[in-house]
Amino acid sequence: MNKLVLYGIIFVVALVGATFAILDANGAMAQGKDVMGQLAIFGAVAIAAISTFVIIKYIRQMQYDTATGELADENWDGIGEYKNELPFGWAVIFLGLTIWGMWYFLIGYPVNAYSQIGEYNKEVAIHNAEFEAKHANMDAATLKDMGQSVFIVQCAPCHGLQADGMDGKAANLNHRIEKASIVHTIKNGANNMKTDFAGGMPPMMLSDDADIDAVANYIVDGFPDGNSTGATAFVNGGCTGCHGNQGEGIPYVGPKLNGFDIAMVSSVLKDGKKSSIGTMPAFKNLTNIQTKAVAAYVSSLSK
Amino acid sequence: MFHWLEKHPFFFAVGIFVTISFAGLVEVLPNFVQQSRPVIGTKPYTTLQLAGRHVYIKNSCNACHSQLIRPFKSETDRYGDYSLSGEYAYDRPFLWGSKRTGPDLHRVGNYRTTDWHENHMKNPEAVVPGSIMPGYPWLFDNLADIDTAYAEQVTVMNAFNVPYNADLPQKDGSTAQVKLASDLAGAQASALEEAKKVAADMKDQDIKDTVAAGKIPEIVALIAYLNSLK
Repeated sequence: MNKLVLYGIIFVVALVGATFAILDANGAMAQGKDVMGQLAIFGAVAIAAISTFVIIKYIRQMQYDTATGELADENWDGIGEYKNELPFGWAVIFLGLTIWGMWYFLIGYPVNAYSQIGEYNKEVAIHNAEFEAKHANMDAATLKDMGQSVFIVQCAPCHGLQADGMDGKAANLNHRIEKASIVHTIKNGANNMKTDFAGGMPPMMLSDDADIDAVANYIVDGFPDGNSTGATAFVNGGCTGCHGNQGEGIPYVGPKLNGFDIAMVSSVLKDGKKSSIGTMPAFKNLTNIQTKAVAAYVSSLSK
Repeated sequence: MFHWLEKHPFFFAVGIFVTISFAGLVEVLPNFVQQSRPVIGTKPYTTLQLAGRHVYIKNSCNACHSQLIRPFKSETDRYGDYSLSGEYAYDRPFLWGSKRTGPDLHRVGNYRTTDWHENHMKNPEAVVPGSIMPGYPWLFDNLADIDTAYAEQVTVMNAFNVPYNADLPQKDGSTAQVKLASDLAGAQASALEEAKKVAADMKDQDIKDTVAAGKIPEIVALIAYLNSLK
C-alpha cells in the first residue's frame, strides 16, 4: 500500500468520523434509533470514499502514465496533439443527437410546439363546453340574472345601470316605447317594419288628443289593469286588431307593445341600430344564450 | 477541413456563428416576418384619423389605456378578438401600453359610437358612474393639426412604403384604397369631408358649426381615430 492510498483512507475516515460526531451529538444513531441518520452516514461514506479514490486514480495517472499514439501534423511551440479515435460513447451521443435534431426540426417543433393561441383556443373550447352543459336547461330566473350581468358589462356604459338611458344618451329600456314616440306614431303612422310585417300602420287611428294621450300612457305604463280609460281608448282606436288585446302583438300583423320580445332584442343586438338618439353598435360577440339572456332581462325591465 | 479551420480563426468564427444561429434563423425569422406583415383588412390611417391619433398621444391617453388584447378568455369576452402583431403594421409608434388604468381601446370602434364618445369626453362620470377618467373639455375648443398629420402621411409613404392610394385586400375578398391627396389643400379638404360625417352624428351645435365653417376641432379627429380602432 503506498502513501497516497494511506492518506486517502485517513482522509475518508476523518471526514466521515467528524460528520458522525457532529450529527450524532445526542447518540440516537449509535443506539440504532435514527435509521434515516444511519442511511445518510452510509451515503456520506460512499460518496467520500468513491470521490477520494477516483481522485487518487487520476493523480497517479498524471504521475506515471506515458502517452502513445500517432501525432497530428500540427505543432504549437513544441506541443503536439495525438490523433485519438472518437470515444464510442461520444459517437453514439453525437449520432443520436443528430437524429433527434432532425426529428425536432421537422416534427417536434412545428407539430408539438407550445402556442399561446393554442392554449387560448383550448381554454375557450373548455369554457364553452362547460357553459353549454351548465346552462342547457336554464330556468327563467337564472336567464334573467345572466342577462343582468351581461347588461352591466356590455350595455350599461350607454343605457346606464338603471337602463334609463342616462338622460337621453341612449334609449330608456324601462319602457317598451317612449311616450313621445307613441304619440308621434299614432299621428303619423309607421312603416319601418323589417321583414316580418307586411304593410304599415295607418296614421290617425285616433284623432282626439285626449284619447291619444290615454293610449300612450296606457302603453308606456305597461298595460296596467287599473287604467280603464286607456284600455277603452286602446280598443276603440282599433289598436287591438293588430297589436292584440293586451298589446301582446300578433305574428305577421302587428308588433308586441307590452314588452320587448326576444326576436326584436336579438335583431338589435345583431345589427345595431341608428336613431335620433344616436347610433348603437352591433354586439356580435355575444353567444346565442347570452343574447337570449339579455333579451329576457330587458323584457323584464318594462313589466 | 477541420485542420484548415483551425488554421483560419476568422472563418472558424464565421462557421461557429452560422452553426449557433442556424436554429434561430430558420425558426424565428420566417415567423417574425410573416407575423409583422399587415393583417388582411388593416388599413393605413386617413389624414383625419392620424390627426386624431396625434391628439390621443398629445393627451397621453396611452398612459392609462392599452391597445393590446391578450389571448385570454376574460379579455376577449370584454374587448373582442385578441390582437395580432400585423394589425400594428401602420402604427408609428405603436400604442400597446403596459398599464391599464382604464380599459383597453384596441377595438373600441366596435362597441362605442360617436355620440357616446362625445358625451364621455365632456364628462366621463355622466356615462360611466364612478369613472376616474377626467373630462377633456378642451378637445371641443382646440383645432386639430391636419398639416402635421398630412406631413406624417407623406413621410411614411415615402420612407416606409405605406400603401396609400394602393389596392388593399379586405376580409370579404374585395379591395379598398386609402386616398392620400397630392397636396396639402387636398388633404385638408378630404379631412374636412370626413370630419363632416363624424360631426353629423354629434350633438354639440358648436362643433357642427365649427366643422361647417371649415375648421376641425380636436374632438372630431379623436373620434374619427377611435372609430377606426376595430
